[in-house]
Amino acid sequence: MKNPEFVASVILTVLVTIVIAVWVKGDPTTKVKLALSYGALILLFLFGFLILAAIASGKIDISTLLSESGGGASMSRFQLLIFTFVIALSFFLIVVSSSRLPDVPADVLALLGISATTYGVSKGIQAGGGLQSKSGPNGGGNGAAATDGTNDTKKSS
Amino acid sequence: MPSISTLAAYEGFILIGGFFGIVFWKLLTGGIGLSQLLEGDIRDPNSPGGYSTQVSAGRAQSLLITLFVALYYLSQVIHNPKEFPRLPGGLIEALAGSQAVYLGGKAQAMLLGRWRNIVK
Repeated sequence: MKNPEFVASVILTVLVTIVIAVWVKGDPTTKVKLALSYGALILLFLFGFLILAAIASGKIDISTLLSESGGGASMSRFQLLIFTFVIALSFFLIVVSSSRLPDVPADVLALLGISATTYGVSKGIQAGGGLQSKSGPNGGGNGAAATDGTNDTKKSS
Repeated sequence: MPSISTLAAYEGFILIGGFFGIVFWKLLTGGIGLSQLLEGDIRDPNSPGGYSTQVSAGRAQSLLITLFVALYYLSQVIHNPKEFPRLPGGLIEALAGSQAVYLGGKAQAMLLGRWRNIVK
């Protein structure tokens, strides 16, 4: 079995759903709705927790999250990370306190747009410059080249 | 049994807080590299690879402005968590200008090199 945690999560969710459907008092329609709602919530939580555990243990490697192609940290990626965190946290706090999906103002879109545009243009400049390596031909400070989906045969972009 | 919305809120706090915590911990312990964050590449004909690194004022000012805007935004949300805060127009313009300065400096350094080499 390749992923026992995944199977265990599904089994646990099914068990919880059955328990709610059998023991919770109410008419059958309400019981089904509650069972499905709680089951979906628990399943989502367990999947999210599995991903977090994989990141924490190193199974999902995020060591090059901020790396440029060729090594070294990228300021534009760092800025995009900061603003994504800030806006995600803000959105979550607003949803929890007001119990509704908020209207997203233009300011938020401007913040994300500025940081994403900066990241894109920075990548374009780096590609146009034909950079070999930030720290020389042997790679960056952490010894890891960025894996951002580009199929580069050399360390430069 | 907690209500669905309460359970969802707790789950969100755990997952989002856990993710932020893990990323923050990795940043602090070096699991996610921040080396050379303030150093930019510059075209250098005297260097073996054609490029060298130097501390970049554009990156430093971009970092300061980014952190200021992020902390300001978070403080506004914590103060009034009912809706997204409105940012002053000047702040967004300052951020955009800061990014333009950073990108302009990066383009000049990578495509043209040091001023003294250009002037020669």
